[in-house]
Amino acid sequence: MQEKTGAEKYTSVQIPTKLVEQIEKRIQGTEFPTVTSYVTFVLSEVVSETEPEQKEALSKEDDERIKDRLRSLGYLD
Amino acid sequence: MMLQGDCNYIVSGLERSGTSMMMQMLHSGGVPIAYTESRKADVNNPKGYFELEGGKIITSLMKGMFPIEKYQGKFIKITAYGLSYLPSTGKYKIIYMERNLEEVLDSMEKMSNVVDENREQTKQSFQRLNEKVKKEILSKENINVLFIHYNEMLKDPIPQVQRICEFLGTCEVDTAPMVSVVDKQLYRQRRV
Repeated sequence: MQEKTGAEKYTSVQIPTKLVEQIEKRIQGTEFPTVTSYVTFVLSEVVSETEPEQKEALSKEDDERIKDRLRSLGYLD
Repeated sequence: MMLQGDCNYIVSGLERSGTSMMMQMLHSGGVPIAYTESRKADVNNPKGYFELEGGKIITSLMKGMFPIEKYQGKFIKITAYGLSYLPSTGKYKIIYMERNLEEVLDSMEKMSNVVDENREQTKQSFQRLNEKVKKEILSKENINVLFIHYNEMLKDPIPQVQRICEFLGTCEVDTAPMVSVVDKQLYRQRRV
C-alpha cells in the first residue's frame, strides 16, 4: 500500500491480498485511483464516526444534513 | 510580500460567510494566495470563488488526496467542514470567517435555489458544525486562528484589516486595496 505519495506521510498496513483484490475490482471506474485512496477514505469515515468528541458534537443526522447542503452548493461530491 | 514557507495559510468559515471576499481582500493586498478558475464567478459570487479543485477541495481532503504541502506560504480556501480533515502534522494559520447564521442560510438557499423546509434543523446542524470546528482548531497547538466577523468587516473594514496584518505579522500588506474590496452592494442577505 505504498503506491501513493502526497501531502500526508504514509505507512504500510497489512491487509489480506484477497481483500485488496476485491477493492481493486470495486474501485474500477470510480473516482478512487488507488487502493490506498479508497482505504484511506473508508477508514477516515469510520474513525470520524466513532471519535467520542466528534460524535458528541455532531450527530450522524447533522453530518448528513450538512453534507447534503454542501453537495447542493457544489462543495462536495 | 512573503509568508512563511513552512506554514499552510487557510481562509475558512461556513460557506457563504465571506470566505471568497476574504480571499479577494488578501489578493488585493499583495498577500500570496492560490486558486484556479475552475469555478467561475457567477451571480452568487460575482467577484469569483477563489477556490481550488473546482470547489471540491473537501472531497480531496476527505480522501487524503489533497497535496496541501504544495500550498505552503500561500492562502488557500478550505471551508469549515474540510478543516477536520487537515493532516494532523504541519503548521497552520487560519483566518476563520464568521457571519450571522440566518444570513448564511439565506444565502445558501438563494445559491442552491431551494427553500429549506427544515430550516431550523439545518440551522442547528450548521451551528453545531461551526462550534465543533472552532473548538477543534482552537485546541490544536499547531494551528493559529484569527476570527473575522463578516458583518463587522462590512460595517468598518479598517480595524479588521489591521487585525489581519497583525495576525500575519507584517506591515508589507497594502491595506487600502484590501479595504476597497469590501463591497456593501454585495451584502444582500442582510439580517443585522
